[in-house]
Amino acid sequence: MEQVLSSITNFLSILFILLCLGLILFYLLSDRRREKINLRSIQAFTHFRRDVDLAVEAGKRLHISLGRGNINDLQGGSAFIGLTILDRCARAASNSDRPPVTTSGDGVITILSQDTLRSTYRSLATEERYDPTNARLTGLTPMAYAAGAMPAIHDEQISANIFAGHFGTEIALLTEAGERSRSLTVAGSDSIPAQAVLYATSDEALLGEELYAAGAYLGAGSAHSASLRMQDILRWVLVVAIMIGAIVKLFGILP
Amino acid sequence: MKKILPITNAIIAVISGLFVLLGYFFPGVFGGIQSTLIGWAIILAAIALLLGIFNLAMVHWKKIGSDGPGKINSIALLVSLIITIIVVSISGPTGSWSLWIFNSFQVPVEVSLLAVLAVILVYAGARLLARRPKWNTILFLVTVLVVLLGSVPLFFVGEITPLSIVRGWLAQVPAIAGARGLLLGVALGTVATGLRILIGVDRPYGG
Repeated sequence: MEQVLSSITNFLSILFILLCLGLILFYLLSDRRREKINLRSIQAFTHFRRDVDLAVEAGKRLHISLGRGNINDLQGGSAFIGLTILDRCARAASNSDRPPVTTSGDGVITILSQDTLRSTYRSLATEERYDPTNARLTGLTPMAYAAGAMPAIHDEQISANIFAGHFGTEIALLTEAGERSRSLTVAGSDSIPAQAVLYATSDEALLGEELYAAGAYLGAGSAHSASLRMQDILRWVLVVAIMIGAIVKLFGILP
Repeated sequence: MKKILPITNAIIAVISGLFVLLGYFFPGVFGGIQSTLIGWAIILAAIALLLGIFNLAMVHWKKIGSDGPGKINSIALLVSLIITIIVVSISGPTGSWSLWIFNSFQVPVEVSLLAVLAVILVYAGARLLARRPKWNTILFLVTVLVVLLGSVPLFFVGEITPLSIVRGWLAQVPAIAGARGLLLGVALGTVATGLRILIGVDRPYGG
Protein backbone atom coordinates (compact mmCIF):
# COMPACT_ATOMS: atom_id res chain seq x y z
CA MET A 1 0.00 0.00 0.00
CA GLU A 2 2.81 2.38 0.96
CA GLN A 3 4.63 1.62 -2.29
CA VAL A 4 1.46 2.34 -4.32
CA LEU A 5 1.00 5.68 -2.52
CA SER A 6 4.66 6.57 -3.14
CA SER A 7 4.26 5.71 -6.86
CA ILE A 8 1.13 7.87 -7.11
CA THR A 9 2.92 10.80 -5.36
CA ASN A 10 5.90 10.41 -7.72
CA PHE A 11 3.61 10.33 -10.75
CA LEU A 12 1.72 13.44 -9.62
CA SER A 13 4.99 15.28 -8.89
CA ILE A 14 6.35 14.48 -12.36
CA LEU A 15 3.04 15.59 -13.87
CA PHE A 16 3.18 18.87 -11.91
CA ILE A 17 6.77 19.58 -12.99
CA LEU A 18 5.96 18.75 -16.64
CA LEU A 19 2.92 21.04 -16.45
CA CYS A 20 5.07 23.90 -15.07
CA LEU A 21 7.75 23.26 -17.70
CA GLY A 22 5.16 23.12 -20.49
CA LEU A 23 3.59 26.41 -19.39
CA ILE A 24 6.96 28.18 -19.15
CA LEU A 25 8.00 26.97 -22.62
CA PHE A 26 4.58 27.84 -24.08
CA TYR A 27 4.68 31.43 -22.76
CA LEU A 28 8.37 31.77 -23.61
CA LEU A 29 7.61 30.97 -27.26
CA SER A 30 4.28 32.79 -27.50
CA ASP A 31 5.52 35.98 -25.79
CA ARG A 32 8.52 36.34 -28.07
CA ARG A 33 6.61 38.60 -30.48
CA ARG A 34 4.93 40.64 -27.74
CA GLU A 35 6.74 43.84 -26.99
CA LYS A 36 5.52 44.40 -23.45
CA ILE A 37 3.63 42.40 -20.85
CA ASN A 38 1.34 44.30 -18.49
CA LEU A 39 2.22 43.72 -14.84
CA ARG A 40 0.32 45.00 -11.83
CA SER A 41 2.08 47.82 -10.04
CA ILE A 42 4.21 46.78 -7.05
CA GLN A 43 5.35 49.84 -5.12
CA ALA A 44 8.60 48.20 -3.99
CA PHE A 45 9.84 47.75 -7.57
CA THR A 46 8.78 51.29 -8.55
CA HIS A 47 10.75 52.70 -5.62
CA PHE A 48 13.63 50.34 -6.36
CA ARG A 49 14.01 51.68 -9.93
CA ARG A 50 13.80 55.28 -8.74
CA ASP A 51 16.40 54.70 -6.03
CA VAL A 52 18.84 52.99 -8.36
CA ASP A 53 18.65 56.06 -10.63
CA LEU A 54 19.07 58.39 -7.65
CA ALA A 55 22.07 56.41 -6.39
CA VAL A 56 23.77 56.70 -9.78
CA GLU A 57 23.08 60.43 -9.95
CA ALA A 58 24.24 61.10 -6.39
CA GLY A 59 27.42 59.02 -6.81
CA LYS A 60 26.34 56.72 -4.00
CA ARG A 61 26.36 52.97 -3.69
CA LEU A 62 23.75 50.22 -3.75
CA HIS A 63 24.01 47.41 -1.25
CA ILE A 64 22.56 44.04 -2.25
CA SER A 65 22.34 41.43 0.48
CA LEU A 66 21.77 37.87 -0.71
CA GLY A 67 21.12 36.23 2.65
CA ARG A 68 22.56 32.97 3.93
CA GLY A 69 20.63 30.42 1.90
CA ASN A 70 22.31 27.20 0.84
CA ILE A 71 21.88 26.46 -2.86
CA ASN A 72 21.80 22.71 -2.16
CA ASP A 73 18.53 23.37 -0.36
CA LEU A 74 15.10 24.93 -1.01
CA GLN A 75 16.49 28.29 0.21
CA GLY A 76 18.59 28.48 -2.95
CA GLY A 77 15.60 29.70 -5.00
CA SER A 78 15.44 33.07 -3.29
CA ALA A 79 19.24 33.44 -3.47
CA PHE A 80 19.08 32.94 -7.25
CA ILE A 81 16.49 35.73 -7.44
CA GLY A 82 18.92 37.87 -5.45
CA LEU A 83 21.59 37.15 -8.09
CA THR A 84 19.18 38.28 -10.83
CA ILE A 85 18.55 41.51 -8.89
CA LEU A 86 22.33 41.94 -8.47
CA ASP A 87 22.79 41.62 -12.24
CA ARG A 88 20.10 44.26 -12.89
CA CYS A 89 21.60 46.60 -10.27
CA ALA A 90 25.12 46.25 -11.68
CA ARG A 91 23.80 47.05 -15.17
CA ALA A 92 21.74 50.02 -13.96
CA ALA A 93 24.68 51.38 -11.95
CA SER A 94 27.21 50.82 -14.73
CA ASN A 95 27.56 54.62 -15.19
CA SER A 96 28.02 55.22 -11.48
CA ASP A 97 31.40 56.03 -9.90
CA ARG A 98 30.69 53.49 -7.19
CA PRO A 99 29.82 49.92 -8.17
CA PRO A 100 27.27 48.02 -6.02
CA VAL A 101 28.48 46.07 -3.01
CA THR A 102 27.13 42.60 -2.22
CA THR A 103 27.08 40.76 1.09
CA SER A 104 26.12 37.15 1.77
CA GLY A 105 26.32 34.52 4.48
CA ASP A 106 27.23 31.47 2.42
CA GLY A 107 30.44 30.63 0.56
CA VAL A 108 28.71 29.39 -2.60
CA ILE A 109 26.46 32.45 -2.83
CA THR A 110 29.55 34.67 -2.41
CA ILE A 111 31.32 32.92 -5.30
CA LEU A 112 28.15 33.13 -7.42
CA SER A 113 27.75 36.84 -6.67
CA GLN A 114 31.36 37.46 -7.72
CA ASP A 115 30.71 35.47 -10.87
CA THR A 116 27.51 37.41 -11.59
CA LEU A 117 29.30 40.76 -11.18
CA ARG A 118 32.19 39.62 -13.38
CA SER A 119 29.92 38.33 -16.17
CA THR A 120 27.75 41.46 -16.02
CA TYR A 121 30.76 43.76 -16.37
CA ARG A 122 32.17 41.52 -19.10
CA SER A 123 28.91 41.77 -21.07
CA LEU A 124 29.04 45.57 -20.71
CA ALA A 125 32.72 45.59 -21.80
CA THR A 126 33.71 47.21 -18.47
CA GLU A 127 35.59 44.29 -16.97
CA GLU A 128 38.10 46.62 -15.29
CA ARG A 129 35.31 47.69 -12.88
CA TYR A 130 35.18 44.21 -11.39
CA ASP A 131 36.59 43.99 -7.87
CA PRO A 132 36.20 40.69 -5.99
CA THR A 133 36.01 42.54 -2.66
CA ASN A 134 32.71 44.10 -3.74
CA ALA A 135 31.07 40.69 -3.29
CA ARG A 136 31.73 39.64 0.30
CA LEU A 137 31.13 36.83 2.70
CA THR A 138 30.34 38.58 5.98
CA GLY A 139 29.68 35.69 8.36
CA LEU A 140 28.52 32.10 8.50
CA THR A 141 26.01 32.15 11.35
CA PRO A 142 22.87 34.33 11.24
CA MET A 143 24.15 36.87 13.77
CA ALA A 144 27.72 36.89 12.44
CA TYR A 145 26.34 37.52 8.96
CA ALA A 146 24.21 40.44 10.18
CA ALA A 147 27.06 41.86 12.28
CA GLY A 148 29.42 41.67 9.30
CA ALA A 149 26.97 43.28 6.87
CA MET A 150 26.07 46.23 9.15
CA PRO A 151 29.40 48.10 8.71
CA ALA A 152 28.96 47.92 4.93
CA ILE A 153 25.60 49.73 5.31
CA HIS A 154 27.01 52.33 7.73
CA ASP A 155 30.43 53.06 6.25
CA GLU A 156 30.20 52.80 2.47
CA GLN A 157 27.86 55.66 1.50
CA ILE A 158 24.96 53.37 0.70
CA SER A 159 21.84 55.05 -0.67
CA ALA A 160 19.64 51.96 -1.01
CA ASN A 161 19.73 48.44 0.41
CA ILE A 162 18.14 45.52 -1.40
CA PHE A 163 17.74 42.35 0.66
CA ALA A 164 16.80 39.33 -1.46
CA GLY A 165 17.43 35.80 -0.28
CA HIS A 166 17.00 33.60 2.75
CA PHE A 167 17.09 35.43 6.08
CA GLY A 168 15.80 34.88 9.58
CA THR A 169 14.71 37.47 12.12
CA GLU A 170 18.30 38.80 12.17
CA ILE A 171 17.30 40.87 9.12
CA ALA A 172 15.85 43.41 11.58
CA LEU A 173 19.45 44.33 12.53
CA LEU A 174 20.19 45.07 8.88
CA THR A 175 17.01 47.07 8.20
CA GLU A 176 17.68 49.04 11.39
CA ALA A 177 21.21 49.79 10.14
CA GLY A 178 19.64 51.00 6.88
CA GLU A 179 17.19 53.19 8.80
CA ARG A 180 20.00 54.72 10.88
CA SER A 181 22.11 55.51 7.81
CA ARG A 182 18.97 57.01 6.16
CA SER A 183 19.10 54.66 3.20
CA LEU A 184 16.04 53.02 1.64
CA THR A 185 15.46 49.31 2.23
CA VAL A 186 13.61 47.07 -0.23
CA ALA A 187 13.47 43.53 1.08
CA GLY A 188 12.03 40.11 0.33
CA SER A 189 12.66 36.65 1.70
CA ASP A 190 11.37 33.11 1.39
CA SER A 191 11.17 32.74 5.17
CA ILE A 192 7.86 33.51 6.93
CA PRO A 193 9.46 34.89 10.16
CA ALA A 194 11.67 37.18 8.07
CA GLN A 195 8.65 38.40 6.08
CA ALA A 196 6.83 39.26 9.31
CA VAL A 197 9.86 41.22 10.52
CA LEU A 198 10.25 42.95 7.14
CA TYR A 199 6.62 44.07 7.16
CA ALA A 200 7.37 45.99 10.35
CA THR A 201 10.92 47.18 9.72
CA SER A 202 11.59 47.73 6.01
CA ASP A 203 10.55 50.66 3.81
CA GLU A 204 9.25 48.33 1.10
CA ALA A 205 8.60 44.67 1.84
CA LEU A 206 8.15 42.03 -0.85
CA LEU A 207 5.76 39.44 0.58
CA GLY A 208 5.17 35.86 -0.57
CA GLU A 209 5.76 35.33 -4.26
CA GLU A 210 6.44 39.03 -4.98
CA LEU A 211 10.18 38.43 -4.56
CA TYR A 212 10.09 35.78 -7.28
CA ALA A 213 8.54 38.29 -9.70
CA ALA A 214 11.63 40.54 -9.44
CA GLY A 215 13.17 39.31 -12.71
CA ALA A 216 10.00 40.10 -14.68
CA TYR A 217 9.60 43.55 -13.09
CA LEU A 218 13.24 44.51 -13.55
CA GLY A 219 13.36 43.39 -17.19
CA ALA A 220 15.67 40.40 -16.73
CA GLY A 221 14.31 38.63 -19.82
CA SER A 222 11.31 36.90 -21.30
CA ALA A 223 11.97 33.70 -19.31
CA HIS A 224 11.14 35.57 -16.10
CA SER A 225 7.87 36.91 -17.54
CA ALA A 226 6.96 33.44 -18.84
CA SER A 227 7.56 31.83 -15.46
CA LEU A 228 5.55 34.59 -13.76
CA ARG A 229 2.58 33.80 -15.98
CA MET A 230 3.01 30.10 -15.18
CA GLN A 231 2.89 30.97 -11.46
CA ASP A 232 -0.30 33.02 -12.00
CA ILE A 233 -2.07 30.12 -13.70
CA LEU A 234 -0.98 27.56 -11.11
CA ARG A 235 -2.00 29.89 -8.30
CA TRP A 236 -5.55 29.87 -9.67
CA VAL A 237 -5.40 26.07 -10.06
CA LEU A 238 -4.38 25.82 -6.39
CA VAL A 239 -7.14 28.23 -5.31
CA VAL A 240 -9.76 26.13 -7.14
CA ALA A 241 -8.30 22.89 -5.68
CA ILE A 242 -8.39 24.33 -2.13
CA MET A 243 -11.99 25.55 -2.61
CA ILE A 244 -13.12 22.16 -3.93
CA GLY A 245 -11.33 20.44 -1.01
CA ALA A 246 -13.04 22.75 1.50
CA ILE A 247 -16.51 22.19 -0.04
CA VAL A 248 -16.00 18.42 -0.19
CA LYS A 249 -14.97 18.40 3.47
CA LEU A 250 -17.90 20.69 4.42
CA PHE A 251 -20.38 18.19 2.99
CA GLY A 252 -18.68 15.33 4.80
CA ILE A 253 -17.53 13.49 1.66
CA LEU A 254 -13.93 13.50 2.92
CA PRO A 255 -13.16 12.28 6.48
CA MET B 1 37.11 30.45 -25.67
CA LYS B 2 35.06 33.28 -24.14
CA LYS B 3 31.96 31.97 -25.92
CA ILE B 4 32.61 28.26 -25.41
CA LEU B 5 33.06 28.46 -21.62
CA PRO B 6 29.58 29.87 -20.79
CA ILE B 7 27.93 27.27 -23.06
CA THR B 8 29.92 24.46 -21.39
CA ASN B 9 28.90 25.81 -17.96
CA ALA B 10 25.26 25.84 -19.00
CA ILE B 11 25.41 22.29 -20.39
CA ILE B 12 27.05 20.97 -17.21
CA ALA B 13 24.48 22.78 -15.01
CA VAL B 14 21.49 21.56 -17.04
CA ILE B 15 22.64 17.92 -17.22
CA SER B 16 23.58 17.81 -13.51
CA GLY B 17 20.26 19.39 -12.52
CA LEU B 18 18.33 16.95 -14.69
CA PHE B 19 20.08 13.89 -13.18
CA VAL B 20 19.51 15.15 -9.61
CA LEU B 21 15.82 15.78 -10.35
CA LEU B 22 15.37 12.38 -12.00
CA GLY B 23 17.09 10.76 -9.01
CA TYR B 24 14.18 11.87 -6.79
CA PHE B 25 11.56 10.23 -9.03
CA PHE B 26 13.49 7.14 -10.17
CA PRO B 27 15.91 6.35 -7.32
CA GLY B 28 16.55 2.86 -8.66
CA VAL B 29 17.90 4.11 -12.00
CA PHE B 30 19.31 7.56 -11.20
CA GLY B 31 19.84 7.31 -7.42
CA GLY B 32 23.57 6.45 -7.75
CA ILE B 33 24.45 9.31 -10.08
CA GLN B 34 22.28 11.66 -8.00
CA SER B 35 24.17 10.91 -4.77
CA THR B 36 27.53 11.23 -6.59
CA LEU B 37 26.56 14.65 -7.95
CA ILE B 38 25.27 15.81 -4.55
CA GLY B 39 28.53 14.57 -2.98
CA TRP B 40 30.52 16.65 -5.48
CA ALA B 41 28.29 19.65 -4.74
CA ILE B 42 29.03 19.31 -1.01
CA ILE B 43 32.79 19.17 -1.67
CA LEU B 44 32.55 22.24 -3.93
CA ALA B 45 30.51 24.05 -1.26
CA ALA B 46 33.27 23.34 1.29
CA ILE B 47 35.90 24.76 -1.11
CA ALA B 48 33.63 27.77 -1.73
CA LEU B 49 33.49 28.28 2.04
CA LEU B 50 37.30 28.41 2.22
CA LEU B 51 37.37 30.87 -0.69
CA GLY B 52 34.70 32.92 1.09
CA ILE B 53 36.80 33.12 4.25
CA PHE B 54 39.80 34.12 2.12
CA ASN B 55 37.59 36.82 0.55
CA LEU B 56 36.57 38.04 4.03
CA ALA B 57 40.24 38.29 5.03
CA MET B 58 41.05 40.14 1.79
CA VAL B 59 38.25 42.68 2.34
CA HIS B 60 39.50 43.49 5.84
CA TRP B 61 43.17 43.52 4.78
CA LYS B 62 42.21 46.13 2.18
CA LYS B 63 40.31 48.10 4.84
CA ILE B 64 43.39 48.21 7.08
CA GLY B 65 45.36 49.74 4.22
CA SER B 66 42.71 52.38 3.46
CA ASP B 67 41.78 55.57 5.35
CA GLY B 68 38.16 54.54 5.88
CA PRO B 69 36.47 53.98 9.26
CA GLY B 70 36.57 50.71 11.20
CA LYS B 71 40.30 49.98 10.88
CA ILE B 72 40.49 48.68 14.45
CA ASN B 73 37.59 46.28 13.82
CA SER B 74 39.33 44.92 10.72
CA ILE B 75 42.57 44.38 12.67
CA ALA B 76 40.61 42.61 15.45
CA LEU B 77 38.89 40.39 12.89
CA LEU B 78 42.12 39.36 11.16
CA VAL B 79 43.94 38.68 14.46
CA SER B 80 40.97 36.63 15.73
CA LEU B 81 40.80 34.72 12.44
CA ILE B 82 44.49 33.81 12.55
CA ILE B 83 44.38 32.81 16.24
CA THR B 84 41.24 30.70 15.71
CA ILE B 85 42.76 28.92 12.68
CA ILE B 86 45.94 28.13 14.66
CA VAL B 87 44.06 26.95 17.77
CA VAL B 88 41.55 24.81 15.85
CA SER B 89 44.35 23.31 13.72
CA ILE B 90 46.23 22.24 16.86
CA SER B 91 43.33 21.38 19.19
CA GLY B 92 40.90 20.01 16.57
CA PRO B 93 37.34 21.24 15.88
CA THR B 94 35.95 19.71 19.10
CA GLY B 95 39.08 20.17 21.23
CA SER B 96 38.87 21.93 24.60
CA TRP B 97 40.65 25.12 23.37
CA SER B 98 38.42 25.34 20.28
CA LEU B 99 35.30 24.93 22.42
CA TRP B 100 36.64 27.52 24.88
CA ILE B 101 36.96 30.07 22.04
CA PHE B 102 33.45 29.19 20.83
CA ASN B 103 31.80 29.35 24.26
CA SER B 104 33.71 32.40 25.50
CA PHE B 105 33.49 34.64 22.43
CA GLN B 106 31.10 33.43 19.74
CA VAL B 107 28.16 32.45 21.99
CA PRO B 108 28.12 35.60 24.23
CA VAL B 109 28.44 37.94 21.23
CA GLU B 110 25.59 36.20 19.38
CA VAL B 111 23.38 36.18 22.50
CA SER B 112 24.01 39.93 22.97
CA LEU B 113 22.98 40.53 19.36
CA LEU B 114 19.80 38.51 20.00
CA ALA B 115 19.02 40.80 22.92
CA VAL B 116 19.60 43.86 20.71
CA LEU B 117 17.33 42.24 18.12
CA ALA B 118 14.50 41.95 20.66
CA VAL B 119 14.79 45.68 21.49
CA ILE B 120 14.91 46.61 17.80
CA LEU B 121 11.75 44.59 17.07
CA VAL B 122 9.82 46.29 19.90
CA TYR B 123 11.04 49.70 18.70
CA ALA B 124 10.12 48.87 15.07
CA GLY B 125 6.64 47.80 16.17
CA ALA B 126 6.13 51.11 17.98
CA ARG B 127 7.46 53.09 15.01
CA LEU B 128 5.32 51.24 12.48
CA LEU B 129 2.25 53.40 13.01
CA ALA B 130 4.22 56.55 12.20
CA ARG B 131 5.78 54.91 9.16
CA ARG B 132 2.60 53.42 7.66
CA PRO B 133 -0.54 54.96 9.14
CA LYS B 134 -2.99 52.53 7.50
CA TRP B 135 -5.76 50.28 8.78
CA ASN B 136 -3.73 47.09 8.21
CA THR B 137 -0.92 48.52 10.37
CA ILE B 138 -3.43 49.05 13.20
CA LEU B 139 -4.71 45.49 12.69
CA PHE B 140 -1.11 44.20 12.78
CA LEU B 141 -0.32 46.02 16.04
CA VAL B 142 -3.61 45.02 17.70
CA THR B 143 -2.95 41.39 16.77
CA VAL B 144 0.60 41.60 18.19
CA LEU B 145 -0.77 43.04 21.46
CA VAL B 146 -3.51 40.41 21.77
CA VAL B 147 -1.06 37.57 21.08
CA LEU B 148 1.45 38.97 23.60
CA LEU B 149 -1.13 39.57 26.35
CA GLY B 150 -2.79 36.22 25.69
CA SER B 151 0.49 34.29 25.83
CA VAL B 152 1.67 35.13 29.35
CA PRO B 153 0.03 35.60 32.76
CA LEU B 154 -0.08 39.31 33.73
CA PHE B 155 1.00 40.95 37.00
CA PHE B 156 -1.77 40.87 39.65
CA VAL B 157 -4.31 39.70 37.06
CA GLY B 158 -2.95 36.30 36.06
CA GLU B 159 -4.11 34.67 32.86
CA ILE B 160 -6.94 36.43 31.01
CA THR B 161 -9.00 33.54 29.60
CA PRO B 162 -10.82 35.41 26.78
CA LEU B 163 -7.49 36.78 25.52
CA SER B 164 -5.95 33.29 25.64
CA ILE B 165 -8.88 31.93 23.59
CA VAL B 166 -8.56 34.75 21.02
CA ARG B 167 -4.79 34.19 20.89
CA GLY B 168 -5.30 30.48 20.28
CA TRP B 169 -7.78 31.18 17.47
CA LEU B 170 -5.47 33.80 15.90
CA ALA B 171 -2.53 31.41 15.97
CA GLN B 172 -4.49 28.40 14.71
CA VAL B 173 -6.74 29.91 12.03
CA PRO B 174 -5.78 33.26 10.39
CA ALA B 175 -2.03 32.98 11.08
CA ILE B 176 -1.77 29.44 9.71
CA ALA B 177 -4.00 30.26 6.72
CA GLY B 178 -1.87 33.33 5.90
CA ALA B 179 1.41 31.47 6.36
CA ARG B 180 0.23 28.64 4.10
CA GLY B 181 -0.83 31.13 1.44
CA LEU B 182 2.60 32.78 1.56
CA LEU B 183 4.34 29.40 1.52
CA LEU B 184 2.36 28.29 -1.56
CA GLY B 185 3.47 31.47 -3.34
CA VAL B 186 7.08 30.87 -2.28
CA ALA B 187 6.90 27.22 -3.40
CA LEU B 188 5.57 28.18 -6.84
CA GLY B 189 8.30 30.82 -7.15
CA THR B 190 10.99 28.31 -6.16
CA VAL B 191 9.71 25.75 -8.70
CA ALA B 192 9.67 28.44 -11.41
CA THR B 193 13.24 29.55 -10.53
CA GLY B 194 14.50 25.95 -10.50
CA LEU B 195 12.90 25.15 -13.85
CA ARG B 196 14.28 28.30 -15.49
CA ILE B 197 17.77 27.24 -14.42
CA LEU B 198 17.13 23.62 -15.40
CA ILE B 199 16.20 24.51 -18.99
CA GLY B 200 19.13 26.92 -19.19
CA VAL B 201 17.14 30.12 -19.89
CA ASP B 202 18.28 31.69 -16.62
CA ARG B 203 22.00 31.37 -15.82
CA PRO B 204 22.89 32.99 -12.52
CA TYR B 205 26.29 31.27 -12.62
CA GLY B 206 27.78 33.64 -15.18
CA GLY B 207 27.03 31.30 -18.05
